[in-house]
Amino acid sequence: MPPKGAKKAAAATANKTLVLDNGAYTIKAGIVSTGATPTYDDCRVVPNCIARSTRDKCTYVGSELDGCRDFGELAFRRPVEKGFIVNWEAEKAIWEHELMGEAAGAWWRCDPTETNLVLTEKPNCPKELQKNCDEVVFEQFEFAAYYRCVGATLNAYHAPTAASSLASQSLPQECLLIVDTSYSDTTILPLYNGKLLQSAVRRLTVGGKLLTNYLKELSSLRHYNMMEETYLLNEIKEAVSYVVPSSQQFARDLERTWKGRVGDRRELDASIVVDYVLPDYENAIHGHARPHDAAKSRMRRGLQPLQGPREDLLPLGNERFAVPELLFNPSDIGIQEAGIPGAVMESLSVLPEALKVGLLANVVVVGGNSLIAGFMERLETELRALVPVGYLLNVTRADDAVKHTWLGGARFASEQERLREVLVTKAEYDERGSTWLVKRFS
Amino acid sequence: MPHVEVLPNSAATVAPGWTYVVDTGYDPSKVAINPKNKKRAAAAAPGGQRAEDELSARQQTAIARRIAELERDNDPKQLITVPGKSSVPKTQNARRIIQYQRQIKHWLDDEEAQMGQAATTSRGSVSHAGGRGATQALRRQSTFASVPATPVEATPGPATMAQTPTRLDNTFAEDALLSIDQNLPPPLNSAELEALLAAPPLSYAASHAAPPPAGGPPQRQFCDNCGYWGQIKCRKCGARVCGMECKDAHEATRCLKWA
Ligand SMILES: [Zn+2]
Ligand SMILES: [Zn+2]
Repeated sequence: MPPKGAKKAAAATANKTLVLDNGAYTIKAGIVSTGATPTYDDCRVVPNCIARSTRDKCTYVGSELDGCRDFGELAFRRPVEKGFIVNWEAEKAIWEHELMGEAAGAWWRCDPTETNLVLTEKPNCPKELQKNCDEVVFEQFEFAAYYRCVGATLNAYHAPTAASSLASQSLPQECLLIVDTSYSDTTILPLYNGKLLQSAVRRLTVGGKLLTNYLKELSSLRHYNMMEETYLLNEIKEAVSYVVPSSQQFARDLERTWKGRVGDRRELDASIVVDYVLPDYENAIHGHARPHDAAKSRMRRGLQPLQGPREDLLPLGNERFAVPELLFNPSDIGIQEAGIPGAVMESLSVLPEALKVGLLANVVVVGGNSLIAGFMERLETELRALVPVGYLLNVTRADDAVKHTWLGGARFASEQERLREVLVTKAEYDERGSTWLVKRFS
Repeated sequence: MPHVEVLPNSAATVAPGWTYVVDTGYDPSKVAINPKNKKRAAAAAPGGQRAEDELSARQQTAIARRIAELERDNDPKQLITVPGKSSVPKTQNARRIIQYQRQIKHWLDDEEAQMGQAATTSRGSVSHAGGRGATQALRRQSTFASVPATPVEATPGPATMAQTPTRLDNTFAEDALLSIDQNLPPPLNSAELEALLAAPPLSYAASHAAPPPAGGPPQRQFCDNCGYWGQIKCRKCGARVCGMECKDAHEATRCLKWA
């Protein structure tokens, strides 16, 4: 019974689309209607994890974490590993809870059978995982229609920053180089008319997860055993990290934070070294940093005052800048990869000259690591030094580094014609199967 | 309170039979005349280079293990069950996929194994067009292909141990870029552009950035304990420390931890 499919397929696309930027750390999600003008406010950010506390014996799914009051020894189960959905049992539970269940609320909740899905993925995803994903989307969730693509490509559908308003909204930017420095890793993605130049995609192992784990390892080695305190160390990383402007400044700051030798002690530079006041999860859920105080710091080893609040302090010196430095020098811990600027140049090296010129003039950075103080300045300085004189170099951070890819996807999904071209309906899937679909989306 | 434990400050027990030396490169003569170290000198003298190589191989393994640890997304020892009732799988496919408890490592190993097979079968075939994609995709082995699997992570199937990275197209930017003067670049060649847009994705392993160029500054070395410059090399594990104080702490904590 062959001819049944085709016409039904076109009719079966809905006029509401769930745009889902499914990150390892957070899900960025929102419903977009055709013809709408979506904004960042239409995007909801939800932890993509199931967390379990051995202390209050509670399990938190996704946004339920907002209600958590004790992050001590909180363990996480993350369905996305290295950027790819690996554990569908957990991902399904989180999607059902956040996108279709109570937690979504009336505004965000969707009925998949009446909704299209635009789902992002990281580049270089193993085909078997893509196939699993497609099968779950259609066979388990039964979305009306579906499009899966590398998230970064959707950024081409933002109007260029300095654009004339004359530029037609429906055209993707011609040349766009996305640097996506997020939780799982950092990827370099050159785009031409919204299409990924696959052979030039490059990836750095270093992402937010590795930075948090590194800080956790260093703090546990140098001060307290904090190996079970992932949540806290992530919070500390976000609060105190900074990227030094240059390797000369790196050397200077390293001197200023060194204790010296026995018999030749140096005073720690309190403009860099901070004491992080750890939360006790009774009076305070979150900690905070303040300038280092040697006297108070000495007190922390068992010499707490009998009266007044007890304080646990974590001193942070070179950790503040040596941890995010891995984005620029992965070899500092033995990762045999160039830093972000080197990886950008390596990516461009396999492309023709004219594309290089176009891409360097439009470099856009997305992802949470770009929010670390000093990151953009360092990236631009180092890139400038690698790019030949006379080339135009434009490096900007997205207005909202976390939601930018989502908004690009939302803009893409708001134009019905464009969306129709790429969507595959459930009927088509039922007819042709998942092997066909993986090919179709590649 | 978060879970914090005060760590032992420094146990300061020096393991017998080995010492720290200032790392100025390997110098067998110094070892030979060191009277405190006769036994070691005797052992090291004939096979000094080999001992160095063994240390460096062990150190490479340790570094790879540590990085794998830092890269971990989920702790396989932590079992967190999905709370409440979630919908039942609607098809057999869905059931199978939802029940998978594999980690990403297993999927990536599968991918590598399949690519290896594809490369073997296509070798010798004259068709160049089809083979090019595979070659391109294989251009770089994962830096971490050489991480020895811990028992928990061991994947059945072909092991990819200690392969040296192979790079077929490592033309690092500089030469090409520097040769350009202020003139406009040649316009895009449409055939070339078509080929680029049609290129298949690289494999995950092949997508990793290359090491920094050989001519660049040498790898920086840090104290394994405090993070200051590491000028002294531990002869047992190859890690660096900044001085005697951190040497003691290193021995008490991390020496050979990832070996
Ligand atoms: Zn030290
Ligand atoms: Zn050692």
